[in-house]
Amino acid sequence: MAAAVTLEGVWKKFRLGERHDSLRDLVPAALSRLVTRKRDDELDAAEFWALKDVSFSVAPGESLGIIGPNGAGKSTALKLLTRILRPTRGTCRIHGRVGAIIEVAAGFHPELTGRENVFLQGAIMGMKRADINSRFDEIAAFAGIEKFIDTPIKRYSSGMQARLGFAIAAHMEPDVLLVDEVLSVGDISFQARCMERMERQIRDGVTVVFVSHNLQAVASLCKRSVVLGGGELQYDGPVDGAIDAYLRASQAGSRRPDTDPRFTVEAIEFVTADGQPAHTLAPHTACVFRATVQCHADAPAAAFSFDFERTRDLFYCYGVNTEDLGAERRAFRAGERAVIEFRWVAHFARGHYRVNLNVRDSTSMKFYLFAENIANFTVVETASYGGVVDVAPQCAVTLVRS
Amino acid sequence: MSGPTIVGDVAEMFREQFEYRELLGQMTRRDLLLRYKQTVMGFGWAVFMPLLNTAVFSVIFVRVAPMDTGMPYPLFAYCGLWTWNFFASSLRFAVTSLSSNTSLVTKVYFPREVFPFSAVLVCLVDFAVGSLVLVALMAYYGVTPTVSMLWLPVVVLVQVAFTAGVALLVAMANLFYRDVKYLFELVLTFWMFATSVVYPTSRVGGTLGSLLALNPMTPIIDGYRAVLLTGASPLTPQFAVAAVLAFVLLFLAWLVFHRTEYTFAESI
Repeated sequence: MAAAVTLEGVWKKFRLGERHDSLRDLVPAALSRLVTRKRDDELDAAEFWALKDVSFSVAPGESLGIIGPNGAGKSTALKLLTRILRPTRGTCRIHGRVGAIIEVAAGFHPELTGRENVFLQGAIMGMKRADINSRFDEIAAFAGIEKFIDTPIKRYSSGMQARLGFAIAAHMEPDVLLVDEVLSVGDISFQARCMERMERQIRDGVTVVFVSHNLQAVASLCKRSVVLGGGELQYDGPVDGAIDAYLRASQAGSRRPDTDPRFTVEAIEFVTADGQPAHTLAPHTACVFRATVQCHADAPAAAFSFDFERTRDLFYCYGVNTEDLGAERRAFRAGERAVIEFRWVAHFARGHYRVNLNVRDSTSMKFYLFAENIANFTVVETASYGGVVDVAPQCAVTLVRS
Repeated sequence: MSGPTIVGDVAEMFREQFEYRELLGQMTRRDLLLRYKQTVMGFGWAVFMPLLNTAVFSVIFVRVAPMDTGMPYPLFAYCGLWTWNFFASSLRFAVTSLSSNTSLVTKVYFPREVFPFSAVLVCLVDFAVGSLVLVALMAYYGVTPTVSMLWLPVVVLVQVAFTAGVALLVAMANLFYRDVKYLFELVLTFWMFATSVVYPTSRVGGTLGSLLALNPMTPIIDGYRAVLLTGASPLTPQFAVAAVLAFVLLFLAWLVFHRTEYTFAESI
């Protein structure tokens, strides 16, 4: 089957600084263009490549994440797909009706009412009036602004405007949905509703390209992701690997400066208690983590600690060391190896987490090793709104007769 | 891959315009609603401006320097000012229509022609409102419409085509060079006096007269006077030339606009 979205060898050039946009500059610019016939693939001093030879494709019904640091070219890639921009070289193709949740409130006019803006913005996004009409109540309810629908939106808070914009965009019925960092709007419950809505569209077979800095959202919506960095495609594959690659790239050079490299990690084994690979876990899965470490110089008293961090924001979730867990303090000699086994249970709420392994001297607390992100995993669960801890809830709703 | 062909581009132009036909309606509606909400007089402005100008020029050309126009002067002047006002205000809206909608042009994809086209449509509504005054004036001066009034849609269509062609060009030009807005204001002032708006340019004569005869707006405005006021056919050779010119201009301007529009988001 033909791909729903294709980027083939796409290069995109941008100009830095201001363009000449006064007539005064027209004549010299036109002359210089006549004299120097510049080719498309050359850069002059004021230009740079926003995308360099980027290729990827998305199969129909697949959802693809695009992650990467600011300025990596993520939004440029989406704008090329929506046809707002055209590539300098290469081709972009989309099969089917495109819906873009990019700038959801771009067409809003402050003087018009919510109702008038829904029809205007809907038309801008390419929706038919009849479709908007039939979904109007749903849109207003989704945005949670039924009461204010006939008020000019200049009286809305920015959150209300963003919610209304997202609600309109979310009620398009496209074949291909392009989404750019929109989950940051609205409160937690609105974000949860947005995620739910997008999950439903994915289940319904909509092809999705999802750009976000929220790695947890990317991990839960997309099985596959690409990583862009400096305009180049750095990774294309399973989402876990993508998050890993992105984090590794963005944390390169963040080693603690006071590390005394007396230990190195030789091997890592990260499985569930019954021996399955522990990439994706249900909450409360029992897991085993085994690290083989090599000692390179005598260490009188070493303690090994494990930290859990949420990858999205490096929120520190949990940490403990072997000594505090009751393991005996012992000295290591140069050349000795040890396997540290750590059994634990994933009482985490849904999201993506990583494990760091530290080795420190138990008396001086000096680091012998600080190995970040030696393993990472995704907890999958759909009941909660998110958070960090899964409290293993149970519930009952009983009617009380009066 | 083959390069862009005119046929392919034209097909795309029409297909997109058809796909987004409701957007054109919504944008026009937006601007009309805004005018109605933001100004006290609303559509009154559509009538007020040409009416005020008619009064001023009537004083000049009836009291100060009487001029024979073959019909009551206020009728001649209002018909000219009303149609000129449609042309000029369409272009005044169109010239900033792209550059004042930055967030839409850089963030959302849809055919950019919608902006200048809706500017013309908004003014077409004003034009329709302004016709009420003409009807009143015709009644006052006892001008009865004749069967040649059936030509009116043709004249309107030619004017709309010509206006839309110029609108596309000035909107695009102002996006790339912001001086265009000011320059164009100047051009409009001169252009009005080079057109049979408040006096018949046929009375100028000489080299200047033959130069003025090249102005396509004159046969268009004279066309309105012919079908509405004198009961003549508008199909003079000059009008035919203007009509052909209008459609050729619209076609070429639209093609250029369409081929340039993908650079708008980067140029704005």
